[in-house]
Amino acid sequence: MTGRSGLQWLLLGLAVALLLAFAAFPLLWMGLTALKPSTEIFTWPPRLLPEAPTLSNIERLFAQTHFVTYFKNSVIVSSAAVILTLLLAVPGAYGLTRYRFFGRETIAATVLFTYMFAPIMIIIPFYIVMRTFGLANTHIALVLAYCAFSLPFALWMLRTFFQSIPIDLEEAAMTDGASRFRAVIHVVIPMALPGIIATAILTFILAWNDYIFARILISSDNLKTLPVGIADLYNASVIDWGMIMASGLLVIIPVIIVFSYVQKFLVAGWGSGGVKG
Amino acid sequence: MQTRGLPGLLLVLPALLLLATLTIYPVGYGFWLSLHAKHSLFPQQAFVGLDNYIYLWHDPEFWESLRIGLIYSVSTIFLQLVLGVAAALLLHQSFFGRNIVRGLVLFPYMIPTVVAVILWKWMLNNQFGLINFGLVSLGISSEPINWFGRSYIMASLILVSVWQFFPFVLLAVLARLQTIPTELYDAARVDGAGPVARFVFVTLPQLASVLFITILLRSIWMFTKFDTVWLMTQGGGAERYIRTMPVYAYLRTFNYYEAGMGAAVAIVMFLMLVAAAATYFFLFRGEDQL
Repeated sequence: MTGRSGLQWLLLGLAVALLLAFAAFPLLWMGLTALKPSTEIFTWPPRLLPEAPTLSNIERLFAQTHFVTYFKNSVIVSSAAVILTLLLAVPGAYGLTRYRFFGRETIAATVLFTYMFAPIMIIIPFYIVMRTFGLANTHIALVLAYCAFSLPFALWMLRTFFQSIPIDLEEAAMTDGASRFRAVIHVVIPMALPGIIATAILTFILAWNDYIFARILISSDNLKTLPVGIADLYNASVIDWGMIMASGLLVIIPVIIVFSYVQKFLVAGWGSGGVKG
Repeated sequence: MQTRGLPGLLLVLPALLLLATLTIYPVGYGFWLSLHAKHSLFPQQAFVGLDNYIYLWHDPEFWESLRIGLIYSVSTIFLQLVLGVAAALLLHQSFFGRNIVRGLVLFPYMIPTVVAVILWKWMLNNQFGLINFGLVSLGISSEPINWFGRSYIMASLILVSVWQFFPFVLLAVLARLQTIPTELYDAARVDGAGPVARFVFVTLPQLASVLFITILLRSIWMFTKFDTVWLMTQGGGAERYIRTMPVYAYLRTFNYYEAGMGAAVAIVMFLMLVAAAATYFFLFRGEDQL
């Protein structure tokens, strides 16, 4: 059903090009700047492609800053947040789907309501609570914060996935002599895998991208995560644009890889809330 | 086989305990804190009743933060919606390479805020920025614009925010567009409806419920947006022209060390949100089958 005239094709192409120029070009420009030597970065008029592409910006980033430490911290904290969230949300969502108990819907609604609390509302008391427990300036505090922020959408998203799995399958496995636990592991979990992956990705991105919790909860330089580390790099007295753009490029590479791999799962999970931001 | 009973509750309990200690308790504690004069770092505190709120009522900086916050959230929400819906309609068309374009357009929403801010600070750089180069060479502006000075800092902030968050609207609307039955369009065509009439009478009513929830979520998130605004205030000297309410709450707590006052600003923000959300539901919910 593509009865478009030449003019319509032209307009369509133009609109798509404009959209891409707005949404994607700035990212491309960041990548190109990261590969330019500073003589080419600070030139007027600006040149699109690097004439003598170089990795010197990345080398400087590794040699002169704690970028590698920040990167390692981000990987540790984000992975731990994903694991903890799944450990709590998968059984939780299963319990909210397959069992009937008093107050179940109230619990589900309350969980959704906590989705409304913005980080800025929570962070001040959260910081004081963490300090009371002696957890301020630790990665544990960050993992707990990200888990708390992911749990509401994780529970809701997984619940919709569990609801879509026919209960007959579990019953059949159990009639065949499997315990409920084994039925869940071998039948339910594999079928809910797209939902579990989507939840893991969204939690990872939330933790990987967070600025505010890491800014306030972490004070030691060797515990900082990437967003805070990069912001501090920018706030240093002289702005080394080539190095800053290189740091930006390296930070989004994991996001790009993970995201392009799981895009289809993500779109499926969007209906149930999506990630906060 | 929906089993009755305790095992279900036990499965949910760990998640609930974590949520209760780490989100519900802090919000409650925030209310309590807002009734006290408390230093952010030291343990001394004194009950002051509603003094913090009364102070804010007479505080010009607070009202200014509300005004700036409203300008910021209303304009970014409006632009995100227009751009997000338009882009969704565009990417709903079939053309070669559509899936790649869809993926690329979502990136701004997926990357860390700090990256979005630094890359736009580079694009908008006074001396070497691409935007100023474009404006000057096209003759739109006779000299490079200071995007981070008093006159343009809000425009720059709005630009970065719309860029970062319009893909959320795009994705939500696109997902819904794909579920509209094509029979509805065929029927409208038979009745002689042109493209505009089909959009107004078929597409828009179908989008009503997704737009309802998208506007609600985006309003909550833009009104309480901290990181984009805060990072835009860093360096440039025009910080106070984009000092929204979340930034003001942060400054009160972590620059003036008045945790009680900071909490009071956050609580006022929360109460305004609840009131606005309730009004919104009251006005529009009847029209949707939510």
